[in-house]
Amino acid sequence: MDDLRLTERSVDQKEIKISASNVQVYYGETHAIRDVSVEIEDKTVTAFIGPSGCGKSTFLRCINRMNDTIDTARVSGDILIDGEDIYDKRVDPVQLRAKVGMVFQKPNPFPKSIYDNVAYGPRIHGLARNKADLDDIVERALRRGAIWNEVKDRLTAPGTGLSGGQQQRLCIARAVATEPEVLLMDEPCSALDPIATGQVEELIDELRESYSVVIVTHSMQQAARVSQKTAFFHLGNMVEFGETGKIFTNPEDSRTESYISGRIG
Amino acid sequence: MTDASAASAAAPPAVRKSSLHQLDARTKKRNASEARFKAYGLGAVLIGVAFLVALLYAIISNGTPAFTQTFVTVEVPLEPEAVEAAEASFVKTSAYREIIYTALAERLAEAGIETDMGPEELGQILSSSEAGQMREFVLANPDRVGGTVEFRFFASSRVDGYSKGRVTRESLARDNNLSAAHLDLVDRMEAAGIVERSFNWDFIFGADASDSRPEQAGIGVAMLGSLFMMFVVLFLALPIGVAASIYLEEFAPRNRWTDLIEVNISNLAAVPSIVFGILGLAAFIQFGGLPQSAPLVGGLVLTLMTLPTIIISTRASLQSVPPSIRAAALGVGASKMQSVFHHVLPLAMPGILTGTIIGLAQALGETAPLLLIGMVGYIATNYPDGVASGFLDPNSAMPAQIYEWAKRADPAFYERAWGGIIILLLFLMTMNIVAILLRRRFERRW
Repeated sequence: MDDLRLTERSVDQKEIKISASNVQVYYGETHAIRDVSVEIEDKTVTAFIGPSGCGKSTFLRCINRMNDTIDTARVSGDILIDGEDIYDKRVDPVQLRAKVGMVFQKPNPFPKSIYDNVAYGPRIHGLARNKADLDDIVERALRRGAIWNEVKDRLTAPGTGLSGGQQQRLCIARAVATEPEVLLMDEPCSALDPIATGQVEELIDELRESYSVVIVTHSMQQAARVSQKTAFFHLGNMVEFGETGKIFTNPEDSRTESYISGRIG
Repeated sequence: MTDASAASAAAPPAVRKSSLHQLDARTKKRNASEARFKAYGLGAVLIGVAFLVALLYAIISNGTPAFTQTFVTVEVPLEPEAVEAAEASFVKTSAYREIIYTALAERLAEAGIETDMGPEELGQILSSSEAGQMREFVLANPDRVGGTVEFRFFASSRVDGYSKGRVTRESLARDNNLSAAHLDLVDRMEAAGIVERSFNWDFIFGADASDSRPEQAGIGVAMLGSLFMMFVVLFLALPIGVAASIYLEEFAPRNRWTDLIEVNISNLAAVPSIVFGILGLAAFIQFGGLPQSAPLVGGLVLTLMTLPTIIISTRASLQSVPPSIRAAALGVGASKMQSVFHHVLPLAMPGILTGTIIGLAQALGETAPLLLIGMVGYIATNYPDGVASGFLDPNSAMPAQIYEWAKRADPAFYERAWGGIIILLLFLMTMNIVAILLRRRFERRW
């Protein structure tokens, strides 16, 4: 059954959104990412899987240059978004991050109201012309975050007062409020219970219609459920990248097969 | 082989059955050591509380008398000729004094108190500030000349001490200023309502007085000096300290230089305050040419001293803001500065404010550096007529004033030193309460 669904979802070739070639990341002396090249398509969910410490999160954080905030981190190689090198000197990481939104492992709403959480990004990027406009943006983002119905009556309540799953959907709403083109998700469900996880996964599937979504996950089932493309990372190398259905049913590399079947990891 | 094992070898190898209702030796030992530790801790707390109680008792019992003072109420006729003659004489106050003494003698006769003391001897009951007080009144209210005015003069510090139990007839045996006969007289005057003890606002709002008139001395001017200094400290140390901490914590690269700066800031926090006093003397007064005894210089020195405290507490509260908040802000495309000013700083605010107020309180109670830059000005006139009216005018500060009083010989000043400590402690307590309230307020905002 699953297999059928997976192959069914493998859609036609789409345009390439993110193209990385020969990316190396060093933390001080440690060589964390070795020579990773990958092409991520638009309007697709791409999952990065692999055992802990394999570098999947590190690579994800290269895509919006969050690694810049770590003093010892060094990145070489090229990462292009829409053909533009994001590590070019002319690129301001702040502008890049408005274009590449990020959702973190632990829900991290600002200690402000639900409304202000979502409105913050649009405010600092000047996306709203007036209050009504901002209200619209907030409502749209919360609807897309599939949390509108739960919070519409208490937008002024603190975001930190929501449950874990609601907080994470709020964070997703916050990320989409700035109209990004790419959405990075770093293990977005690892702090959530199965019900909340299900809601977030459903949401990710919907977000695919508008964004290129890259998700790092520990759960292979999750990768199989939400992604169209999967990359398997091991010890800083990207071992295999391809259609999710193919990776899970007929991997080319023996390491991938061992991981999928639970022998390493 | 030890004895124990030899004994057990002799006994039949019984199956060890442990009962939960019986503590084994190890558990007993563990429980005993835990109970011992708890007792030590409780003992330590009790010792601390005992010291605190003893301290508060000493301060309150020694200091409260300073807030009351013995007054002598005398109706003095202001005859125009007498006033004119007094103003024309060379030592004007001694002429006024004669008027007062005569009035006092008349007041006693009126009350039916018989005494064989002359006016001069009688006058020793009064503080020597009386003539000045009267002359000031006459100069300020020339239209009252010709009538009779009721004055409340300070009693001399010996008489005041007698009413507070500090001075006894025996202790006056070798005192030239007052005799046992005076005290008998005071008793009768008190019965007649001429002498009374009441709350003395002049102690809180008044100026310092010379060695011979402790009854007149007040801490008001020193309070003003402390206030000026605190303004300087607040407006310099807070912005400089917070800006430095934010830069060091959020923006500065981690390298040898920032490490060096960090170590030095921590070291500066431990530098004895008198060193800052010498530094201030050399840098601000001798090199910078600023005046001595000025609250501005005092404030600058205390700023130097307070900065490390503020920087350390501000950095600690910035560090305590979870990194996930910074990541969240950066993740939606906020710049570094936006993430700091919109998210990190508001969260760190309660800690910063608490640190600042504690730094200010520390500065308020600091004495040693003030002695070195001469913040022990003797100011005998109160604001706004006196010289202590600005940031550059000589002034004193509360702790320096307390030190000055404690240094003087007359026990009446000793009592005032304790009283000054009460006022200083009230200020410190107020500041700490404000710190707590601010903290609560800011934390409740979300």
